[in-house]
Formats: sequence, C-alpha cells, structure tokens
Amino acid sequence: MAQPQKPDFPGHDLGDQFRFWPKHNEKIYERLESKHAWLEEKQAAAQGDGEPPVTQKSELDPLENEMILNIGPQHPATHGVLRCVVKLDGETIEKSVLDIGYLHRGIEKLAEHKTYQEFMPYTDRMDYLSPYSNNVAWCLAVEKLAGIEVPERAQWIRMIMSELARISSHCLWLGVGMMDAGAVSGFVWTFQEREEIYSIMDEVAGARFTVSHSRIGGVSTDFSPRAIEMIRDFVDTFPDRIKGWEGLLNKNRIWIERNKGVGRVTKEEALELGLTGPNLRGSGVPYDIRRFEPYLKYDEVDFTIPVREEGDCLARYFLRLDEMKQSVRIIEQCLDRMTEGPIRADDAKEAYPSKDEVYYSMEGMIHDFMYTDVGTVPPKGAHSYHAIESPKGELGFYLTSDGTGRPWRVRINAPSFTNLQAMEYMMEGSLVADTVVIIGSIDPVMGEADK
Amino acid sequence: MSNPDDPRASDPQDPEELRFHFTPSDEPKPEQETDNPHAKATTRVPEVIEALRDEFGAAVLNVERYANEDTVYVEKRQIRPICRFLKEDEGFTYFVDLGGIDNFTEEDRYEVFYNLVSPERQKRIRLKIRVDEEDMRVPSVVEVYRAANWNEREAYDMFGFEFVDHPDPRRMYMPEDFEYHPLRKEFPQLGVPGSLPLPPQTPDGELTMDPFAAAHGSKPVKSYEEPATDSDSE
Repeated sequence: MAQPQKPDFPGHDLGDQFRFWPKHNEKIYERLESKHAWLEEKQAAAQGDGEPPVTQKSELDPLENEMILNIGPQHPATHGVLRCVVKLDGETIEKSVLDIGYLHRGIEKLAEHKTYQEFMPYTDRMDYLSPYSNNVAWCLAVEKLAGIEVPERAQWIRMIMSELARISSHCLWLGVGMMDAGAVSGFVWTFQEREEIYSIMDEVAGARFTVSHSRIGGVSTDFSPRAIEMIRDFVDTFPDRIKGWEGLLNKNRIWIERNKGVGRVTKEEALELGLTGPNLRGSGVPYDIRRFEPYLKYDEVDFTIPVREEGDCLARYFLRLDEMKQSVRIIEQCLDRMTEGPIRADDAKEAYPSKDEVYYSMEGMIHDFMYTDVGTVPPKGAHSYHAIESPKGELGFYLTSDGTGRPWRVRINAPSFTNLQAMEYMMEGSLVADTVVIIGSIDPVMGEADK
Repeated sequence: MSNPDDPRASDPQDPEELRFHFTPSDEPKPEQETDNPHAKATTRVPEVIEALRDEFGAAVLNVERYANEDTVYVEKRQIRPICRFLKEDEGFTYFVDLGGIDNFTEEDRYEVFYNLVSPERQKRIRLKIRVDEEDMRVPSVVEVYRAANWNEREAYDMFGFEFVDHPDPRRMYMPEDFEYHPLRKEFPQLGVPGSLPLPPQTPDGELTMDPFAAAHGSKPVKSYEEPATDSDSE
C-alpha cells in the first residue's frame, strides 16, 4: 500500500501545518457575507467598480461595531456540537449561519448493511435523551413496512415507556434551559426526576440510558410487578414536582424577562420554516402526530394537545410543562387499562421467540437463529413512512425494501434537524445573550440532527 | 466468513460488490393494503391526485399504493409548479421531508421524494420524481417551501443531485473538501481511505488517512506503545 500523501488544498500554502477543511470554512464565511445582502449596498456597489464608495464605506461601520463570532461547536450552551457563525452589529445578531455535521455518523448508510432488528440499537444513539421513543418509532416503521401486528399489551407498554421518555427529555430541557438562563440549582432538581425515570428504565429494560427494549413485533420483556409499582409511584409524585418548578419559575422575573418575546415565530412563519413538535405548537399550529395519525393506542386514551399562540420561548416553556402533565395523564390511563397477554407477535417470521422457547425447544432455537440471521423480510419493492410524535417533534422513518432482510434505503426524518433550520432564522435580530435561551427552548439534540 | 457484512468478499482488496439489485415489482394488490395494522387514513389522497391530473395531465406519471399510502410519481421538470399548486390550491402548506433514493438501476437511477402535509385537511401526500444518472439536475423547491432548504442540501451532499436555483448550494454534513457522495450505493461502507484525513493518533504522528485501517488490510496506528513481548518467558 502506497504511503498516503498529505492533503493538498489548492490556493492554500499551509506548509507543515494542517488546518481542517479550509474550503469548508471559506464557504461558511462566504455564505455569511452573501446572506440577504442589503439592497442599498448592492446598488451602490453596482454603480462604481464593485466596491462601495469611500464615503459610504466609512458610514457602514464607523465605530467598527461589526464582528464575526463563532459560537461552538464545543460550548456547553450549544447542547452538543452545534456551531453558530454569527455576524454581530454590537450586541445584535445581523446574520447567522449554522454549521452542523460534527456528529455525523452516517447511520442511514449503516442501516443498509444491517438487518431490521440489528439497526434498532443505533436509534438509541440518535435522540439520546429519549431513546425509548426512537426504538418505538423504528419498530413501528418496520412493522408497517412488513405488516406485522403487535399484541395489545406490548402497545400499552410502549406507550407508557414513550411517555416516560417524553417526560425525561422535557426534564432535561427544563433543567438545562434554567441553567442557560442562570439558575443552576434547577438542573439538579430536574435531574433527580430523570434519575427516577432511569431507575424505571433499568427495572423494565435492564439498561438505564440506551434501553433498546422495544422489539420488532412487540417488546423484549414484560413489566415486573416492581416496575409497575415504580411507575405508579412516579406518576403520583411527579405532578407535585411540576408544581414546585412552576412555583419557582412562573413568577420569576429573571426567567420571564429572559424568555418573553425572545425567539418569536408567528404561526405562518412556523409552518413555512417547517418547525415541528412543541416548537410548532408553541406558535399555534395544532399539529401532533398522536392526533394527526394516531399510532399505538393514542386514539383510545383521553388527553389534550397543548397549543400556545405567542410563539416565543416563554410559550414553549409553558407548553412543554403542560405536555408533561398530559403525559402523566396518559400513563395513568395506560396503567389502568393495560390488559394481560403476550408481549410479542407469535410468528417466527415477525418477532423473536421467547427465551423459554429458545432454551428448551429445538424449534425455538432455530427460530432465534433465523431471526438473528435474516429477520423480518418485507415484500419486495414495498416502501412506507411511519412517524411518531417524539419529544422533539415528528420523528419518521421512510423505509424502502428490496425483499431481503436488510432495508434498501432508510430515510430518517429527524425533528431536531428541521427545528435547527428554523433556528438560523430565529437568531437573526436577537441579542447574543438570547441565543443561549433560544437554543435551549428549541431543544435540539445533535445526535439526531447529525444522524 | 471473515467479513460478515459481505460474505462474498474473500479478499478485502477487491472492490466492494453489490449483492442486491433493486427491481421495483410486485405492485401490491388492492386487497392487500387494507389488512396492514398500521395503515393510516391520512395517507389516502384520491381527490388530490384527481386535481393534480386535471391540472397537469401527463406530468402525473403513475400512482403507487402500499400500506394505504399513495405515492404520486410526477415529471421532474414539473415538480416546482406541482408543489406550488399543492401549496396554494390544495392546502399542503407544511413541508415535512425530502430525500433521495439510489435504486442502482441502469435508467432512472435516483429518486427524490417529497413528503407534504396539509394540517387543515389532515392529509399527507408523497410525491416522487425520477432522476437519471446522466442528468442530475433537479428543480429546487425552496422558493415554494422554504423548509426544503436544508433537506435539499442534505440530498446534494449524500447523492450529488444538483438543485437548480438553490439559494445556498453547500454540503450539509460533510465538509466542502470532501468529494464523494456517501449514500450512493457504490460508496463503500468503510469510506474511501485518504478522502477525509483525521488528526494524528499520536502527538507527533502522521495524519490518520484511514480510520478503518485493519479492515483495509493494513496495520492500524496505535495511540500507545505496546510493551515488548518476550517469547522465551513462557
């Protein structure tokens, strides 16, 4: 194998020094300059030799207020590896360009080389704040593609766990959001609740963080009596905790003034920018997949979709708190209405056999082997899209099958990606200090946005 | 079986071989789709397809249905007026998703799909256009749906479509210095060695040209020194 050459970037004499992606950065700065350039500047430039006239040049920025600032990618306020390149005029953001992809792992490509079940643990690592919702989203998408029916008890279990994941994700959003605005103690309180949810996940799935509990055709294990007890305890105490947080924040002048009127998006803009999830509903669009295309048993339980009209960070705060209360309501109803029964489809081509069968019968062992090796085989040429309402918004998988055990193409519609796109627009015209609050209230997860 | 990802590749130096060739066939029969337990009512849009046929005639090529989902194949050149018609006359104001598919066929190798939602009518529609390898130009729909901006950039990054009139034709995830389109089927899963140099793995070492050196048949660089093994001691 020939010794690989050092990369040669034309037009850049870097000597021995290696800088990462000079072309990439150049394009970002170019984009920052050309992004909605002022019409007057352009006209003045067109009259002369391309340069703005000297008189105007000094008028453009006589005090040298303008500055280009790179926020991130490594910055605690960006909640991951998000890089915002902003052009500042004093303290106001004039233009902003977001650069994402620092966490790009190419999981859409990886999925093409895995069986449907093998890919499931990868979804944990997408929105790593609510892994269970991602598992459910993937399993439902595959089940739709292959036409697999899921037993009723498994659907209830999935619903309870996804709602717990929603609470857990919103707890993190609230704690980190408070910390962004300067209230560090709140972070510890919300993490206490997350800790309890982790313990429930541990009891149910055997893992605290990346659970991978859902299976194609059902779930991996049934609830233990202890798990049901823990969930009941949690939903009994959690509304009081929300009340405590509301007591801290709802009349808190610092919190209100940091959030009110910041990052405002109107209803029309929200639709146009393609916001999703709580961010879209915070602007007055009642679009929630749980109502729009009910999956699992969401059409059988009683809950409301909180919607707010204001469209600013404060509206999104109230909305997410309301959502957590609704999640508690859903979990209570699920616990009451849960039926006994199998937790996985009883078909060797649709789901794994139970461990009892695998260990004590020949057929079970063969089925287990075959399912690991080949797995579910959807019909050739089939393609379908299934979305769920994840804590961040519409999380959808568009799958194309070629009639083998591995997907031909997996398209992931990630809510954080769509929300971040709108954030570029929201940041323009706001203050630098507000970007931190805006990022917090948009609640992006880079693992998902970068795929 | 040394390489579980590709059992036929006995020699890792061999170019990666594709095992499956996609041939869209087995058009689902009408009675099949009703028994899909996850089928949704929102994805059936016969009235919209009628309206599209009336307005654009032959530009609407064919309609596929699977699991109660309507997919409308339309002419590539007409995609922008069709999107505008759907947005302004049919109420599909909310843009959800856009992406590419590589079918790895001789003709019309690529597809681009558009996932649009009408919140008032509670409907979802999927449009698809076919793109030939010879002509990768696709009319950009950003001037109709602003939200398509990043999705089109991603599709360009991953498949190399050239979106005509796109306001910001940059890559989405990969750096501009990268010259491949990784979601194309001929792109190897482990990447092209040397295309994306990474920092050295030792403080004074060379740049890492190939993060998966072992899989490509050479010795990986270690970030630590292994203790010398003495074969006589045992």
